[in-house]
Amino acid sequence: MRRSLPARFGLALLQMAVAAFVLIPFFWMLSVSLKPTTEPFAIPARLWPEAPTLANYVTAFRPEFRDYFLNSVVVSLSTVAITVTLGLLAAYAFSRARLLVITGLMSLVVLAQMFPHSAIIIPIYKMMRAADLLNTYTSLIVAYVSVTLPVAIWMLHGFLAKLPVSLEEAANIDGAGPIRVFWEIVVPLARPGIIATAVYVLIVTWQEFLFALSFTSSKAMRTLPVGLNDFIGQYGIRYGELMASSVMVSVPVVAVFFLLQRYFVAGLTAGAVKG
Amino acid sequence: MLWLLIAPTAILLTAFMYYPMVGTVIESFYQTSFINPRPQFAGWAIYEKVLASREFSEILWNSVVWTLGVVLLQNVLGFLVALLLNQGLPAQGLLRAIVLLPWILPGVVTAILWRFMYDPQLGLINSILIRLGLLEDNVAWLAESRTAMAAVIFAAVWKGFPFSMLIYLAALQNVDREQIEAATIDGAGPLRRLIDVTLPAIRDVVAVNVVLTMILTFNYFDLVWVLTRGGPQNATHIFPTRIFETGFGQFRFGEAAAYGVFSILVLAVLVAFYVIVQRANAARRHTA
Repeated sequence: MRRSLPARFGLALLQMAVAAFVLIPFFWMLSVSLKPTTEPFAIPARLWPEAPTLANYVTAFRPEFRDYFLNSVVVSLSTVAITVTLGLLAAYAFSRARLLVITGLMSLVVLAQMFPHSAIIIPIYKMMRAADLLNTYTSLIVAYVSVTLPVAIWMLHGFLAKLPVSLEEAANIDGAGPIRVFWEIVVPLARPGIIATAVYVLIVTWQEFLFALSFTSSKAMRTLPVGLNDFIGQYGIRYGELMASSVMVSVPVVAVFFLLQRYFVAGLTAGAVKG
Repeated sequence: MLWLLIAPTAILLTAFMYYPMVGTVIESFYQTSFINPRPQFAGWAIYEKVLASREFSEILWNSVVWTLGVVLLQNVLGFLVALLLNQGLPAQGLLRAIVLLPWILPGVVTAILWRFMYDPQLGLINSILIRLGLLEDNVAWLAESRTAMAAVIFAAVWKGFPFSMLIYLAALQNVDREQIEAATIDGAGPLRRLIDVTLPAIRDVVAVNVVLTMILTFNYFDLVWVLTRGGPQNATHIFPTRIFETGFGQFRFGEAAAYGVFSILVLAVLVAFYVIVQRANAARRHTA
Protein backbone atom coordinates (compact mmCIF):
# COMPACT_ATOMS: atom_id res chain seq x y z
CA MET A 1 0.00 0.00 0.00
CA ARG A 2 1.38 3.46 -0.87
CA ARG A 3 1.10 6.13 1.74
CA SER A 4 1.60 9.87 1.66
CA LEU A 5 4.59 11.35 3.41
CA PRO A 6 2.61 12.92 6.29
CA ALA A 7 0.83 9.60 6.86
CA ARG A 8 4.12 7.75 7.04
CA PHE A 9 5.51 10.35 9.40
CA GLY A 10 2.47 10.10 11.65
CA LEU A 11 2.64 6.32 11.81
CA ALA A 12 6.34 6.43 12.64
CA LEU A 13 5.56 8.85 15.48
CA LEU A 14 2.90 6.48 16.78
CA GLN A 15 5.37 3.61 16.67
CA MET A 16 7.82 5.64 18.69
CA ALA A 17 5.15 6.59 21.21
CA VAL A 18 4.26 2.92 21.75
CA ALA A 19 7.94 2.00 22.13
CA ALA A 20 8.43 4.83 24.63
CA PHE A 21 5.38 3.83 26.68
CA VAL A 22 6.77 0.31 27.00
CA LEU A 23 10.44 1.08 27.33
CA ILE A 24 10.66 4.08 29.66
CA PRO A 25 9.97 2.04 32.82
CA PHE A 26 12.51 -0.60 31.69
CA PHE A 27 15.08 2.03 30.90
CA TRP A 28 14.59 3.57 34.29
CA MET A 29 14.89 0.22 36.08
CA LEU A 30 18.24 -0.34 34.35
CA SER A 31 19.40 3.19 34.96
CA VAL A 32 18.64 3.11 38.70
CA SER A 33 20.26 -0.32 39.04
CA LEU A 34 23.46 1.18 37.56
CA LYS A 35 23.48 4.25 39.79
CA PRO A 36 26.19 4.32 42.42
CA THR A 37 24.73 4.36 45.93
CA THR A 38 26.71 7.51 46.61
CA GLU A 39 24.97 9.42 43.82
CA PRO A 40 22.05 10.93 45.69
CA PHE A 41 18.67 10.73 44.05
CA ALA A 42 18.21 13.76 41.93
CA ILE A 43 14.89 15.48 42.51
CA PRO A 44 13.24 15.52 40.06
CA ALA A 45 14.51 12.10 38.98
CA ARG A 46 17.27 11.97 36.37
CA LEU A 47 16.96 9.39 33.63
CA TRP A 48 20.56 8.21 33.23
CA PRO A 49 23.28 7.93 35.93
CA GLU A 50 26.38 10.11 35.66
CA ALA A 51 28.81 7.34 36.58
CA PRO A 52 27.27 3.91 35.90
CA THR A 53 28.53 1.06 38.09
CA LEU A 54 27.73 -2.59 38.77
CA ALA A 55 28.08 -2.09 42.53
CA ASN A 56 24.34 -2.62 43.13
CA TYR A 57 24.49 -5.95 41.34
CA VAL A 58 27.42 -7.12 43.44
CA THR A 59 25.63 -6.16 46.66
CA ALA A 60 22.28 -7.57 45.53
CA PHE A 61 23.80 -10.92 44.63
CA ARG A 62 23.92 -11.79 48.31
CA PRO A 63 23.78 -15.37 49.67
CA GLU A 64 19.99 -15.31 50.19
CA PHE A 65 19.49 -14.17 46.62
CA ARG A 66 21.60 -17.10 45.41
CA ASP A 67 19.48 -19.50 47.51
CA TYR A 68 16.26 -18.08 46.10
CA PHE A 69 17.69 -18.29 42.61
CA LEU A 70 18.60 -21.94 43.04
CA ASN A 71 15.15 -22.71 44.49
CA SER A 72 13.47 -21.02 41.54
CA VAL A 73 15.62 -22.91 39.05
CA VAL A 74 14.90 -26.29 40.67
CA VAL A 75 11.16 -25.70 41.01
CA SER A 76 10.70 -24.17 37.54
CA LEU A 77 12.73 -26.71 35.60
CA SER A 78 11.11 -29.65 37.41
CA THR A 79 7.68 -28.21 36.73
CA VAL A 80 8.43 -27.64 33.05
CA ALA A 81 9.74 -31.19 32.62
CA ILE A 82 6.85 -32.88 34.43
CA THR A 83 4.08 -30.69 33.01
CA VAL A 84 5.26 -31.02 29.42
CA THR A 85 5.66 -34.81 29.73
CA LEU A 86 2.29 -35.42 31.38
CA GLY A 87 0.63 -32.81 29.20
CA LEU A 88 1.95 -34.35 26.01
CA LEU A 89 0.70 -37.80 26.97
CA ALA A 90 -2.73 -36.50 27.91
CA ALA A 91 -3.02 -34.18 24.91
CA TYR A 92 -2.11 -37.07 22.62
CA ALA A 93 -4.80 -39.24 24.14
CA PHE A 94 -7.36 -36.43 23.87
CA SER A 95 -6.48 -35.69 20.25
CA ARG A 96 -6.63 -39.33 19.13
CA ALA A 97 -9.62 -40.49 21.16
CA ARG A 98 -12.95 -41.10 19.46
CA LEU A 99 -14.83 -41.92 22.66
CA LEU A 100 -17.20 -39.18 23.76
CA VAL A 101 -16.29 -39.79 27.42
CA ILE A 102 -12.67 -38.87 26.77
CA THR A 103 -13.37 -35.78 24.68
CA GLY A 104 -15.80 -34.74 27.42
CA LEU A 105 -12.97 -34.96 29.94
CA MET A 106 -11.03 -32.54 27.76
CA SER A 107 -13.57 -29.81 28.54
CA LEU A 108 -13.06 -30.44 32.25
CA VAL A 109 -9.34 -29.87 31.69
CA VAL A 110 -9.97 -26.65 29.78
CA LEU A 111 -12.38 -25.49 32.50
CA ALA A 112 -9.72 -25.99 35.18
CA GLN A 113 -7.46 -23.33 33.67
CA MET A 114 -10.00 -20.72 34.76
CA PHE A 115 -10.11 -21.71 38.44
CA PRO A 116 -9.12 -18.91 40.80
CA HIS A 117 -5.92 -19.92 42.57
CA SER A 118 -6.73 -17.80 45.58
CA ALA A 119 -10.00 -19.69 46.06
CA ILE A 120 -8.51 -23.20 45.92
CA ILE A 121 -5.32 -22.51 47.83
CA ILE A 122 -6.64 -23.09 51.36
CA PRO A 123 -7.61 -26.78 50.87
CA ILE A 124 -4.33 -27.38 48.99
CA TYR A 125 -2.40 -25.72 51.81
CA LYS A 126 -4.14 -27.94 54.38
CA MET A 127 -3.35 -31.07 52.35
CA MET A 128 0.30 -30.10 52.10
CA ARG A 129 0.40 -29.33 55.81
CA ALA A 130 -1.21 -32.68 56.66
CA ALA A 131 1.35 -34.47 54.47
CA ASP A 132 4.13 -32.46 56.13
CA LEU A 133 5.16 -31.05 52.76
CA LEU A 134 5.12 -27.31 53.52
CA ASN A 135 8.53 -25.73 52.89
CA THR A 136 9.53 -28.40 50.40
CA TYR A 137 10.17 -28.32 46.68
CA THR A 138 7.60 -31.11 46.34
CA SER A 139 4.69 -28.97 47.54
CA LEU A 140 5.48 -26.24 45.04
CA ILE A 141 6.18 -28.59 42.14
CA VAL A 142 2.97 -30.56 42.70
CA ALA A 143 0.92 -27.36 42.89
CA TYR A 144 2.62 -25.84 39.83
CA VAL A 145 2.24 -28.98 37.73
CA SER A 146 -1.46 -29.08 38.60
CA VAL A 147 -2.15 -25.46 37.73
CA THR A 148 -0.06 -25.42 34.52
CA LEU A 149 -1.27 -28.76 33.11
CA PRO A 150 -4.62 -27.45 31.81
CA VAL A 151 -3.07 -24.70 29.64
CA ALA A 152 -0.25 -27.02 28.56
CA ILE A 153 -2.72 -29.69 27.44
CA TRP A 154 -4.81 -27.07 25.66
CA MET A 155 -1.79 -25.71 23.76
CA LEU A 156 -0.38 -29.16 22.90
CA HIS A 157 -3.80 -30.40 21.87
CA GLY A 158 -3.98 -27.59 19.32
CA PHE A 159 -0.75 -28.85 17.75
CA LEU A 160 -1.42 -32.57 17.90
CA ALA A 161 -4.91 -32.22 16.45
CA LYS A 162 -3.36 -30.75 13.31
CA LEU A 163 -0.85 -33.59 12.76
CA PRO A 164 -1.98 -36.04 10.08
CA VAL A 165 -3.04 -39.34 11.63
CA SER A 166 -2.16 -41.11 8.36
CA LEU A 167 1.57 -40.98 9.23
CA GLU A 168 0.94 -42.84 12.47
CA GLU A 169 -1.27 -45.36 10.71
CA ALA A 170 1.39 -45.98 8.08
CA ALA A 171 4.02 -46.57 10.77
CA ASN A 172 1.58 -48.90 12.49
CA ILE A 173 1.16 -50.95 9.33
CA ASP A 174 4.95 -51.10 9.02
CA GLY A 175 4.94 -52.86 12.37
CA ALA A 176 5.93 -50.02 14.74
CA GLY A 177 4.38 -50.40 18.20
CA PRO A 178 2.46 -47.55 19.85
CA ILE A 179 5.47 -46.43 21.91
CA ARG A 180 7.72 -46.23 18.86
CA VAL A 181 5.04 -44.38 16.89
CA PHE A 182 4.69 -41.86 19.70
CA TRP A 183 8.40 -41.41 20.24
CA GLU A 184 9.60 -41.43 16.64
CA ILE A 185 6.69 -39.81 14.81
CA VAL A 186 4.50 -37.78 17.13
CA VAL A 187 7.16 -36.20 19.36
CA PRO A 188 9.43 -34.94 16.53
CA LEU A 189 6.47 -33.54 14.59
CA ALA A 190 5.08 -31.81 17.67
CA ARG A 191 8.43 -30.27 18.59
CA PRO A 192 7.45 -26.63 17.90
CA GLY A 193 4.37 -27.11 20.07
CA ILE A 194 6.41 -28.74 22.82
CA ILE A 195 8.88 -25.84 22.83
CA ALA A 196 6.08 -23.26 22.86
CA THR A 197 4.40 -25.01 25.77
CA ALA A 198 7.64 -25.37 27.71
CA VAL A 199 8.35 -21.63 27.34
CA TYR A 200 4.84 -20.79 28.51
CA VAL A 201 5.10 -23.04 31.56
CA LEU A 202 8.50 -21.57 32.38
CA ILE A 203 7.23 -17.98 32.21
CA VAL A 204 4.28 -18.82 34.46
CA THR A 205 6.26 -20.85 36.99
CA TRP A 206 9.25 -18.52 37.22
CA GLN A 207 7.00 -15.69 38.40
CA GLU A 208 4.47 -17.67 40.46
CA PHE A 209 3.89 -15.82 43.69
CA LEU A 210 0.73 -16.85 45.54
CA PHE A 211 1.55 -20.54 46.17
CA ALA A 212 5.21 -19.79 46.89
CA LEU A 213 4.23 -17.09 49.38
CA SER A 214 1.75 -19.38 51.17
CA PHE A 215 3.75 -22.63 51.19
CA THR A 216 7.22 -21.38 52.13
CA SER A 217 7.45 -19.84 55.58
CA SER A 218 11.11 -20.86 55.91
CA LYS A 219 13.46 -18.40 54.27
CA ALA A 220 15.69 -21.15 52.93
CA MET A 221 12.90 -22.49 50.70
CA ARG A 222 11.65 -19.24 49.15
CA THR A 223 11.68 -18.64 45.44
CA LEU A 224 12.74 -15.41 43.72
CA PRO A 225 9.34 -13.65 43.56
CA VAL A 226 8.78 -14.17 47.30
CA GLY A 227 12.37 -13.21 48.03
CA LEU A 228 12.00 -10.00 46.03
CA ASN A 229 8.81 -9.19 47.90
CA ASP A 230 10.72 -9.61 51.18
CA PHE A 231 13.43 -7.27 49.93
CA ILE A 232 10.88 -4.43 49.68
CA GLY A 233 10.51 -4.54 53.44
CA GLN A 234 14.21 -5.03 54.14
CA TYR A 235 15.80 -2.75 51.55
CA GLY A 236 12.80 -0.60 50.62
CA ILE A 237 14.70 2.65 50.46
CA ARG A 238 17.65 1.14 48.60
CA TYR A 239 16.01 1.20 45.20
CA GLY A 240 19.33 0.66 43.43
CA GLU A 241 19.72 -2.82 44.92
CA LEU A 242 16.03 -3.57 44.50
CA MET A 243 16.21 -2.71 40.79
CA ALA A 244 19.43 -4.70 40.35
CA SER A 245 17.73 -7.75 41.91
CA SER A 246 14.70 -7.20 39.69
CA VAL A 247 16.87 -7.14 36.58
CA MET A 248 18.63 -10.35 37.64
CA VAL A 249 15.26 -12.06 38.25
CA SER A 250 13.95 -11.01 34.83
CA VAL A 251 16.97 -11.73 32.63
CA PRO A 252 16.60 -15.56 32.50
CA VAL A 253 12.96 -15.56 31.29
CA VAL A 254 13.45 -12.64 28.94
CA ALA A 255 16.46 -14.40 27.38
CA VAL A 256 14.64 -17.72 26.97
CA PHE A 257 11.65 -15.93 25.53
CA PHE A 258 13.63 -14.08 22.89
CA LEU A 259 15.60 -17.17 21.91
CA LEU A 260 12.42 -19.18 21.36
CA GLN A 261 10.01 -16.39 20.49
CA ARG A 262 9.00 -17.59 17.06
CA TYR A 263 7.80 -20.96 18.37
CA PHE A 264 6.05 -19.38 21.27
CA VAL A 265 4.08 -16.68 19.48
CA ALA A 266 2.86 -19.16 16.87
CA GLY A 267 1.93 -21.71 19.54
CA LEU A 268 -0.01 -19.35 21.73
CA THR A 269 -1.94 -17.54 19.03
CA ALA A 270 -2.74 -20.66 17.00
CA GLY A 271 -4.90 -22.03 19.81
CA ALA A 272 -6.35 -18.69 20.86
CA VAL A 273 -7.45 -17.52 17.43
CA LYS A 274 -8.78 -20.89 16.42
CA GLY A 275 -10.91 -20.68 19.62
CA MET B 1 -4.34 -47.54 26.57
CA LEU B 2 -5.57 -43.98 26.11
CA TRP B 3 -6.91 -44.00 29.66
CA LEU B 4 -3.43 -44.76 30.93
CA LEU B 5 -2.06 -41.62 29.25
CA ILE B 6 -4.71 -39.46 30.87
CA ALA B 7 -4.49 -41.07 34.32
CA PRO B 8 -1.69 -38.92 35.84
CA THR B 9 -3.37 -35.72 34.70
CA ALA B 10 -6.77 -36.91 35.90
CA ILE B 11 -5.38 -37.74 39.35
CA LEU B 12 -3.53 -34.44 39.73
CA LEU B 13 -6.41 -32.28 38.53
CA THR B 14 -8.90 -34.13 40.70
CA ALA B 15 -6.77 -33.88 43.81
CA PHE B 16 -5.38 -30.35 43.39
CA MET B 17 -7.95 -28.48 41.28
CA TYR B 18 -11.42 -30.06 41.53
CA TYR B 19 -11.30 -31.37 45.08
CA PRO B 20 -10.06 -27.98 46.43
CA MET B 21 -13.04 -26.27 44.77
CA VAL B 22 -15.30 -28.47 46.88
CA GLY B 23 -12.93 -28.16 49.83
CA THR B 24 -13.28 -24.38 49.84
CA VAL B 25 -17.05 -24.65 50.04
CA ILE B 26 -16.77 -27.04 53.01
CA GLU B 27 -14.12 -24.86 54.63
CA SER B 28 -16.42 -21.83 54.49
CA PHE B 29 -18.75 -23.42 57.05
CA TYR B 30 -16.02 -23.87 59.67
CA GLN B 31 -14.70 -21.14 61.92
CA THR B 32 -10.98 -20.92 62.75
CA SER B 33 -8.81 -18.15 64.09
CA PHE B 34 -5.22 -17.57 65.08
CA ILE B 35 -6.03 -18.08 68.78
CA ASN B 36 -8.35 -21.02 68.14
CA PRO B 37 -7.07 -22.94 65.12
CA ARG B 38 -9.35 -25.98 65.66
CA PRO B 39 -12.15 -25.76 63.05
CA GLN B 40 -15.61 -25.41 64.58
CA PHE B 41 -18.79 -25.82 62.60
CA ALA B 42 -20.40 -22.43 62.15
CA GLY B 43 -23.26 -23.05 59.73
CA TRP B 44 -24.17 -19.93 57.78
CA ALA B 45 -22.71 -17.65 60.45
CA ILE B 46 -19.57 -16.79 58.45
CA TYR B 47 -21.59 -15.91 55.37
CA GLU B 48 -23.94 -13.74 57.41
CA LYS B 49 -21.01 -11.92 58.94
CA VAL B 50 -19.26 -11.43 55.60
CA LEU B 51 -22.39 -10.27 53.78
CA ALA B 52 -23.27 -7.82 56.54
CA SER B 53 -19.81 -6.24 56.56
CA ARG B 54 -19.14 -3.00 54.72
CA GLU B 55 -15.88 -4.54 53.58
CA PHE B 56 -17.64 -7.09 51.44
CA SER B 57 -19.43 -4.49 49.37
CA GLU B 58 -16.19 -2.51 49.09
CA ILE B 59 -14.34 -5.54 47.78
CA LEU B 60 -17.12 -6.44 45.37
CA TRP B 61 -17.17 -2.89 44.02
CA ASN B 62 -13.35 -2.76 43.79
CA SER B 63 -13.30 -6.05 41.91
CA VAL B 64 -15.81 -4.73 39.39
CA VAL B 65 -13.88 -1.48 38.86
CA TRP B 66 -10.55 -3.29 38.69
CA THR B 67 -11.72 -6.00 36.29
CA LEU B 68 -13.71 -3.77 33.94
CA GLY B 69 -11.04 -1.03 33.99
CA VAL B 70 -8.17 -3.35 33.17
CA VAL B 71 -10.10 -5.38 30.59
CA LEU B 72 -11.45 -2.36 28.75
CA LEU B 73 -8.16 -0.44 28.59
CA GLN B 74 -6.04 -3.51 27.93
CA ASN B 75 -8.20 -4.65 25.02
CA VAL B 76 -8.55 -1.21 23.45
CA LEU B 77 -4.84 -0.52 23.72
CA GLY B 78 -3.94 -4.04 22.61
CA PHE B 79 -6.21 -3.73 19.59
CA LEU B 80 -4.89 -0.31 18.57
CA VAL B 81 -1.27 -1.43 18.85
CA ALA B 82 -2.11 -4.59 16.88
CA LEU B 83 -3.59 -2.38 14.14
CA LEU B 84 -0.40 -0.32 14.12
CA LEU B 85 1.75 -3.45 13.92
CA ASN B 86 -0.35 -4.76 11.04
CA GLN B 87 0.41 -1.84 8.70
CA GLY B 88 3.53 -3.31 7.10
CA LEU B 89 5.70 -0.52 8.49
CA PRO B 90 9.48 -0.68 8.83
CA ALA B 91 10.90 -2.01 12.14
CA GLN B 92 7.67 -3.91 12.76
CA GLY B 93 9.31 -7.10 14.08
CA LEU B 94 11.49 -5.10 16.44
CA LEU B 95 8.52 -3.15 17.78
CA ARG B 96 6.53 -6.34 18.34
CA ALA B 97 9.40 -7.82 20.34
CA ILE B 98 9.68 -4.62 22.41
CA VAL B 99 5.95 -4.50 23.09
CA LEU B 100 6.00 -8.07 24.43
CA LEU B 101 8.57 -7.21 27.13
CA PRO B 102 6.16 -6.14 29.90
CA TRP B 103 4.17 -9.32 29.50
CA ILE B 104 7.22 -11.55 30.08
CA LEU B 105 8.39 -9.49 33.03
CA PRO B 106 7.56 -11.40 36.25
CA GLY B 107 4.53 -9.96 38.09
CA VAL B 108 6.44 -9.17 41.29
CA VAL B 109 9.15 -7.37 39.32
CA THR B 110 6.50 -5.34 37.49
CA ALA B 111 4.93 -4.42 40.82
CA ILE B 112 8.25 -3.34 42.37
CA LEU B 113 9.10 -1.33 39.27
CA TRP B 114 5.76 0.49 39.38
CA ARG B 115 5.95 1.06 43.14
CA PHE B 116 9.12 2.91 42.36
CA MET B 117 7.57 4.72 39.36
CA TYR B 118 4.79 5.97 41.66
CA ASP B 119 7.07 6.89 44.58
CA PRO B 120 6.02 10.42 45.62
CA GLN B 121 9.55 11.83 45.98
CA LEU B 122 11.79 9.62 43.86
CA GLY B 123 9.35 8.33 41.26
CA LEU B 124 9.46 9.05 37.57
CA ILE B 125 5.72 9.66 37.19
CA ASN B 126 5.70 12.73 39.43
CA SER B 127 8.89 14.12 37.90
CA ILE B 128 7.55 13.77 34.38
CA LEU B 129 4.17 15.26 35.22
CA ILE B 130 5.72 18.17 37.13
CA ARG B 131 8.22 18.87 34.37
CA LEU B 132 5.41 18.85 31.82
CA GLY B 133 3.52 21.30 34.02
CA LEU B 134 0.58 18.91 34.48
CA LEU B 135 1.11 18.64 38.21
CA GLU B 136 2.15 21.18 40.84
CA ASP B 137 2.93 19.05 43.87
CA ASN B 138 4.03 15.46 44.37
CA VAL B 139 1.13 13.02 44.54
CA ALA B 140 1.38 9.80 46.59
CA TRP B 141 -0.45 7.81 43.92
CA LEU B 142 -0.57 4.49 45.78
CA ALA B 143 -1.17 5.94 49.23
CA GLU B 144 -4.28 8.01 48.47
CA SER B 145 -7.67 6.35 48.25
CA ARG B 146 -8.67 8.60 45.37
CA THR B 147 -5.81 7.59 43.07
CA ALA B 148 -4.69 4.13 44.25
CA MET B 149 -7.09 2.06 42.15
CA ALA B 150 -6.41 4.04 38.97
CA ALA B 151 -2.67 3.70 39.55
CA VAL B 152 -2.91 -0.06 40.04
CA ILE B 153 -5.09 -0.42 36.92
CA PHE B 154 -2.62 1.60 34.85
CA ALA B 155 0.28 -0.65 35.88
CA ALA B 156 -1.79 -3.75 35.12
CA VAL B 157 -2.68 -2.45 31.67
CA TRP B 158 0.99 -1.75 30.95
CA LYS B 159 1.78 -5.35 31.82
CA GLY B 160 -1.26 -6.97 30.23
CA PHE B 161 -1.90 -5.22 26.90
CA PRO B 162 0.84 -7.13 25.00
CA PHE B 163 -1.12 -10.35 25.50
CA SER B 164 -4.26 -8.87 23.96
CA MET B 165 -2.17 -7.28 21.22
CA LEU B 166 -0.63 -10.63 20.29
CA ILE B 167 -4.03 -12.30 19.92
CA TYR B 168 -5.53 -9.40 17.97
CA LEU B 169 -2.50 -9.25 15.70
CA ALA B 170 -2.84 -12.94 14.85
CA ALA B 171 -6.53 -12.40 14.14
CA LEU B 172 -5.84 -9.36 11.95
CA GLN B 173 -3.34 -11.33 9.93
CA ASN B 174 -6.05 -13.90 9.23
CA VAL B 175 -8.47 -11.32 7.77
CA ASP B 176 -9.08 -11.93 4.09
CA ARG B 177 -6.91 -9.47 2.14
CA GLU B 178 -9.13 -9.68 -0.93
CA GLN B 179 -12.14 -8.36 1.01
CA ILE B 180 -10.11 -5.39 2.19
CA GLU B 181 -8.88 -4.69 -1.34
CA ALA B 182 -12.40 -5.01 -2.73
CA ALA B 183 -13.61 -2.46 -0.16
CA THR B 184 -10.75 -0.14 -1.10
CA ILE B 185 -11.71 -0.33 -4.78
CA ASP B 186 -15.29 0.45 -3.80
CA GLY B 187 -13.93 3.66 -2.32
CA ALA B 188 -14.03 2.83 1.41
CA GLY B 189 -11.56 4.82 3.50
CA PRO B 190 -9.45 3.25 6.29
CA LEU B 191 -12.08 3.86 8.97
CA ARG B 192 -14.92 2.38 6.85
CA ARG B 193 -12.76 -0.66 6.06
CA LEU B 194 -12.07 -1.12 9.75
CA ILE B 195 -15.75 -0.94 10.70
CA ASP B 196 -17.23 -2.80 7.72
CA VAL B 197 -14.62 -5.46 6.97
CA THR B 198 -12.03 -5.93 9.71
CA LEU B 199 -14.19 -5.72 12.84
CA PRO B 200 -16.89 -8.15 11.63
CA ALA B 201 -14.15 -10.57 10.57
CA ILE B 202 -12.52 -10.67 14.00
CA ARG B 203 -15.55 -10.24 16.26
CA ASP B 204 -15.31 -13.86 17.45
CA VAL B 205 -11.75 -13.32 18.61
CA VAL B 206 -12.67 -10.03 20.28
CA ALA B 207 -15.51 -11.64 22.23
CA VAL B 208 -13.41 -14.58 23.41
CA ASN B 209 -10.48 -12.34 24.27
CA VAL B 210 -12.57 -9.94 26.34
CA VAL B 211 -14.12 -12.71 28.44
CA LEU B 212 -10.77 -14.48 28.81
CA THR B 213 -8.97 -11.36 30.03
CA MET B 214 -11.89 -10.74 32.41
CA ILE B 215 -11.36 -14.15 34.01
CA LEU B 216 -7.58 -13.70 34.23
CA THR B 217 -7.86 -10.17 35.62
CA PHE B 218 -10.48 -11.06 38.22
CA ASN B 219 -8.09 -13.78 39.49
CA TYR B 220 -4.90 -11.71 39.40
CA PHE B 221 -3.14 -11.42 42.74
CA ASP B 222 0.57 -10.55 42.38
CA LEU B 223 0.44 -6.99 41.13
CA VAL B 224 -2.16 -5.61 43.54
CA TRP B 225 -0.68 -7.39 46.54
CA VAL B 226 2.87 -6.13 46.01
CA LEU B 227 1.78 -2.63 44.98
CA THR B 228 -0.67 -1.83 47.78
CA ARG B 229 -1.54 -4.93 49.90
CA GLY B 230 -5.15 -3.90 49.21
CA GLY B 231 -4.76 -0.48 50.82
CA PRO B 232 -5.08 2.38 51.50
CA GLN B 233 -8.18 1.68 53.65
CA ASN B 234 -9.25 -1.23 51.41
CA ALA B 235 -9.29 1.05 48.37
CA THR B 236 -7.65 -1.61 46.19
CA HIS B 237 -8.66 -4.79 48.00
CA ILE B 238 -10.04 -7.32 45.53
CA PHE B 239 -11.12 -10.92 46.12
CA PRO B 240 -7.69 -12.60 45.71
CA THR B 241 -5.89 -10.15 48.03
CA ARG B 242 -8.65 -10.32 50.63
CA ILE B 243 -8.63 -14.13 50.60
CA PHE B 244 -4.87 -14.25 51.04
CA GLU B 245 -4.82 -11.67 53.80
CA THR B 246 -7.67 -13.27 55.76
CA GLY B 247 -6.41 -16.83 55.30
CA PHE B 248 -2.65 -16.57 55.56
CA GLY B 249 -2.29 -13.25 57.37
CA GLN B 250 -4.96 -13.78 60.03
CA PHE B 251 -5.50 -17.55 59.83
CA ARG B 252 -9.26 -17.05 59.56
CA PHE B 253 -9.57 -19.81 56.97
CA GLY B 254 -13.35 -20.05 57.19
CA GLU B 255 -13.86 -16.41 56.32
CA ALA B 256 -11.22 -16.55 53.59
CA ALA B 257 -12.99 -19.58 52.13
CA ALA B 258 -16.32 -17.72 52.18
CA TYR B 259 -14.72 -14.97 50.10
CA GLY B 260 -13.35 -17.75 47.92
CA VAL B 261 -16.85 -19.15 47.37
CA PHE B 262 -18.12 -15.72 46.32
CA SER B 263 -15.28 -15.35 43.86
CA ILE B 264 -16.05 -18.83 42.47
CA LEU B 265 -19.67 -17.72 41.95
CA VAL B 266 -18.58 -14.61 40.05
CA LEU B 267 -16.23 -16.70 37.94
CA ALA B 268 -18.93 -19.25 37.23
CA VAL B 269 -20.95 -16.46 35.64
CA LEU B 270 -17.93 -15.34 33.57
CA VAL B 271 -17.12 -18.91 32.52
CA ALA B 272 -20.75 -19.44 31.50
CA PHE B 273 -20.42 -16.33 29.35
CA TYR B 274 -17.24 -17.73 27.86
CA VAL B 275 -18.92 -21.00 26.96
CA ILE B 276 -21.93 -19.20 25.43
CA VAL B 277 -19.64 -16.98 23.34
CA GLN B 278 -17.62 -19.98 22.17
CA ARG B 279 -20.79 -21.93 21.28
CA ALA B 280 -22.21 -18.98 19.36
CA ASN B 281 -18.93 -18.58 17.46
CA ALA B 282 -18.80 -22.26 16.60
CA ALA B 283 -22.43 -22.23 15.44
CA ARG B 284 -21.79 -19.22 13.24
CA ARG B 285 -18.70 -20.83 11.71
CA HIS B 286 -20.80 -23.87 11.03
CA THR B 287 -23.51 -22.04 9.14
CA ALA B 288 -21.11 -19.70 7.34
